[in-house]
This record gives sequence, C-alpha cells and structure tokens, in this order.
Amino acid sequence: MNAMQLDMTAEDEAFRAQARDWLIHNRPTAPAPREGQASRTYATDWLAKCAAAGWSGLAWPKEYGGHGLSPARLLIWYEEYARARAPSPLDCTFVALNHAGPTVFARGTEAQKAFHLPRILDGRSIWCQGFSEPGAGSDLASLKTTGRIEGDHLVVNGQKIWSSYADIADYQELLIRTDPGSKRHKGLSWVICDMTLPGITVRPIRNMAGVTHFAEVFYDDVRIPLDAVVGEVNDGWSVAMTTLAFERRTAAMALQLDLSVKVEELIALARPTPGTATAERLADLRAEAAGVRAMTYRTALRDPDTPFDGSLVRLTFAELAQRIERAAMDVLGPDGLTDSHWTHGYLESYSETIAGGTAEIQRNIIAERILGLPREARL
Amino acid sequence: MSFDLTPGEDLRQILDAAQAMLDSHYPVARLQEGMGGDDLDPLEDFGAFALALPEDAGGAGFSIVEEAHLHVALGRHLVGPGALASAIARRLDAGVTACIGVASNGTWTLVDPEGADHAVIRVDGGFGLSPVTDPKTTAPLGAGLPVAKMARTGTNRPVDADLARLLAAAQLLGVATGARDLAVDYAKIREQFGQPIGTFQAIKHHTANMTLGIEMVSALLDMAAIALCDGHPDAGFQVAALTRLAPRVALDNARTGIQIHGGIGFSAEANAHLFLKQAHVLAQFIGPADLLSLPAPLAPYGDNA
Repeated sequence: MNAMQLDMTAEDEAFRAQARDWLIHNRPTAPAPREGQASRTYATDWLAKCAAAGWSGLAWPKEYGGHGLSPARLLIWYEEYARARAPSPLDCTFVALNHAGPTVFARGTEAQKAFHLPRILDGRSIWCQGFSEPGAGSDLASLKTTGRIEGDHLVVNGQKIWSSYADIADYQELLIRTDPGSKRHKGLSWVICDMTLPGITVRPIRNMAGVTHFAEVFYDDVRIPLDAVVGEVNDGWSVAMTTLAFERRTAAMALQLDLSVKVEELIALARPTPGTATAERLADLRAEAAGVRAMTYRTALRDPDTPFDGSLVRLTFAELAQRIERAAMDVLGPDGLTDSHWTHGYLESYSETIAGGTAEIQRNIIAERILGLPREARL
Repeated sequence: MSFDLTPGEDLRQILDAAQAMLDSHYPVARLQEGMGGDDLDPLEDFGAFALALPEDAGGAGFSIVEEAHLHVALGRHLVGPGALASAIARRLDAGVTACIGVASNGTWTLVDPEGADHAVIRVDGGFGLSPVTDPKTTAPLGAGLPVAKMARTGTNRPVDADLARLLAAAQLLGVATGARDLAVDYAKIREQFGQPIGTFQAIKHHTANMTLGIEMVSALLDMAAIALCDGHPDAGFQVAALTRLAPRVALDNARTGIQIHGGIGFSAEANAHLFLKQAHVLAQFIGPADLLSLPAPLAPYGDNA
C-alpha cells in the first residue's frame, strides 16, 4: 500500500549471498599496513583482486568499466562489506575511485577517460587531492597556487597541503588559479597533475596518530600539458563540485554503514551489565548508529530528484564516529594505553570533523542552505 | 521498486489535506489560552483515527507509514495527547475516547483526561488500555497539560507496544520540528547588533544541531514504520532505537528553541515553552526501551564465518 518499501527481491537476496560469500572467502586477513609503499601494495592488491572478480567500480557507469549498480544493491554490497570486516575503503584508492575517477568520467575528454579510468578501477593508478593550501582551508576559494599558460603548457607555482597519500600517489587532482587577478571561485582550473613531473616536492607530514599519510606538496615551475585540464580552463570550481553528490551519496555509504558494525564490535567487547552507565551509553550509540544507517538509506533510496544535502548525514556520521571511538577507550581501560586498531582508530577519528569540510562549516551550510538563515559577510 | 524511500503520492495528498485541517483547527496560537482540552472532532471528521484501519472495519486502509507521518504533523501543532491515545485505542475498541497516562506504584497519572472514558497507560515495559474511573484532578506543572491521578485498576487490555511507541515517537518528531521552525523564523526577524540574530554562527549552529536531530529521528521513523508495516524481523530493534532518540531530540530542540528566543522564550507569552511541555509529556509516555537486548540487523560476521 505505501510507496516506501524496503523489501528485497529474490534477486537482491541472491546478490547479497553472492557478495557475502565472496567477501568472506577473499578479504585479506592480515591487518592493513598504516603508511608508505606497504599500505599502497596492500590496498592495490585488494582492489586488483576485487576488480578481477568483478567487484570494482560498482557505482560507476557501465560505459566506463563500472557496474552501474542501483543504490539498493550498493547498500547491500557495503553492508556485507562492513559485516565481513573487509579493508577500510578510506585507503589510498579512495580519492581515485570516489572523486578523481567520477570527475574524469563526468567532465574529462575521451583521451583522459580512456587512459585514466581503467587504471583507477584495477588499482594501477593512485591519486591524491591537491585542493587545500596553507592559507585556503575552510575558505578553499581563496587558493593562490597559480598556473600560467605558456604555449600548450601550464606552468604551476605554489603549495598545497593535507594532500593524503601524496607520497605514494601517481596523479593529483590539482585545483589552481589560472586566470591572473581572478577572485574566489572564478578563474580556477582542475588539472590532472602527474606526480613524477620535475619541480614537484612532496614533504610528508606525520599526523597525530603517528602515521604519515598526508603531505605538503610544493610546485616550482612545474610544466603540465594543457590537455591535462579537465573541463574548461578557468571553470575548475564547477568541475570540483561536479562529483560532490557522487561522493556524498555513494562514497560515504560504506563508512556510514560500517559504524553500525563497529558499534556491535564494541558492545561485544564491553559485554555491558544491563542498567549500568556503560550499557546506557552503548545503547545510545547503537541507536544513533541505527539512525545514521537510516539516514544513509534515505539518502540512497529517495528519488534522485529529491533535493539533497549531504551535510546532514556527513556531519552526524563524523561526530558519532568520534563518540564511538571515545567510548571504546573507556571500555578498554588500561588497554587503551597500548597500540591496537581501537586506539589507532580513536586517534585517527579526530580528522573526521575536520577533513572534507569542518563540522563548523557544515553547520553553517545547514543553517544557510537548508534553513535559509542570512549569510555572514564574507570577504 | 522494492527498495524505495521516496514518499508516495498518497502520502503527499494525506499530508496536504491534514495540513489544511491542522492550520484551520489547531494553530499553535490557540494554546495561548492554556494547554489541554483540544476538541478532537475535526480530527475525527478527517478520519485521523481510522487512517490505518482496514476498510472493512470502517478505516481508510492506509498503513502505519502514512499514519506515522500524520502524527508528525499532529506533533508540530501540539495537538492534545488524546489524539495519540485515540489512534492507539481505536485498534482495540472503536467506541472509546481515550487519554494517555503513565503508571507508577499503583497510581496512574493521566494527562488531559477531560472527557476520556479510557486511558492508554504505560505500565512497566508495556502499554495497556483501561477504563478511567474516578480520576482526581491534580495541579499540573506550570501552565502545562492538565493531569489527574487515579488508583490502578485490574482491567488492562494489552496494547501493541511497538505501535504505541512508533506513534508517540512520530509526535515527538513533530514537536522537535515545530520547535526548530519557530526558532528559525524568530532568528530571521529578531535583530541585535544591527542584524538578524540568525546571522551569527552561535545561533546558526544551534539551529543546525536541531536539524541534525530531526533528520536522524525522521529517517529512523521511516525505517521503523516500514519494518512494522511489513513485518520485518528488525521492527522491534528499529522502534527501540527510535524510542531512545525521539524524546531526547524533542527535549533538546524544545530547550534550544527557548534559548534562541532569549527573554521572550522564558515568558509564557511566546510559544516556545509549549513545545517543551508537550515533549515532556510525550517523553514520559514513550518511556524507556531495552535496545541492547535485541539482535542488531547489521552485526559483524565472526572470524569463522
């Protein structure tokens, strides 16, 4: 009777069983190395294995080598992925699969698509992002790295920062100012930067979890061919925004569903006595993880034309992830003082409310774009 | 499509019609005269209490999903809790007029009982329907809904607890949404330091937090309602999760709504406090839910899977 339904068909059930069976028998059992070439090898071996078995690019369109799965099938896949405790999708393949690749297939030239997309899908190419700068964080549109057109090349000078996996990446999605004297969102270009070009210096930065997977990147007269620009020169902001919906709807799905499984692991670890403060706290976390799952379903399964703002589920996920990791420390007690995937995850979780738009910026967006409150004066 | 959360056309039409009825008969401003004693006839005429009853039982044949969304709309208008009680009670007995109540130590506290012959009572971990006998009016918390106390009776017919919690949670979501909307509207017009207070991040972030809570409860309400409607094995889990979150979000939003209003928010002249008092009552009615005892729909496979 009601239009809203969550009934799996027999085909869906068969797909779920097939995904579960494959994941359980093929997931790596060794823990993932945390940094450097070893982390790249681990991630790309896993992606190549997925690709060989037909489990890579599930959300990508078929014409670009993907499977074009429906949102419902993606939900099923990522639920099974989380339940099987397969490797975190937030590894060095993440930017390529969820941002660079979708940007190239949406806005790239035929040559760009033909060269890059197959290499992304099977893990041959690793990408990093070159958006933030020391002076352009939350205020990304104030970025200053320049690209000067000389003949059929851009000559790039400047500096990027917080570029995850820049030390092991082959390519970078680089957002630079190509129209001299332009301001804010105008005059930018989105460029595919080959990380082996002369004039690029990568300085890795150790994060607060003790791991080196982001970096500063310096550009000193780096000559990038103009045919590496994606979309039009000086139209880079719109190119950068193209895949925001893909990223927020699809890429985030895996991480959001994983939270429910993580809470169950924590409950199993804690074995709380009913009625205790720990039991109450875990029950709240369980309820909120169920809430994030419901928000993920809603985001994925509504008519694609429904107005959509990823800020709500993105921010809820980030803050809940941090609370779950903190609760794990309180459950672990003295064991929280030694290195483990729980303690490492706890420290890593501090990035959740900063990377990809701080919690404060997300709240501004919710208040201004969804609720219509007046914008602050901006320079 | 088997997997789809786009609200259907039926639902949109029901909600449009309900909105017109609520705007005309239950504007929040009516409560400036005091809370309680809502005339429920317009809701009766609308078919609100028969929405999800089968057509051969005189109902409209819609599902608990549409009914839950209707109760969100009722919650936004702070409709007296007799509407919630009637929607629950009519499933057991078409002839009753009901109020809600909560049991404690052999005494039942009834909310807004005027004219009610039955009460839907939360007793321990469940809910029951009982006749109202000899209620003694008691002073309610300040300017809140009227209350009365009566001695426990033995004639308690069991009520489906998941259904009662789902509809109560739907109303709490409506209260949370109404409190947020009132505060946002005020933040757009109230000026300090030469600009609307909604320009300031301190206010923006309050309203964003209110919205995050609403979105989570709203998404969970759909999950729970569909699970209950279609008899999914995780229905109890979804309702229990909703039961934990809905009162908290409604109370938080009511509190924040008062805060955003500033001095006028603490006065009885503004409407902000009405949302708090409705949330306070509904939170008592929905009660706790033992979420941890239920199997989770999304648990890790063991190492031996």
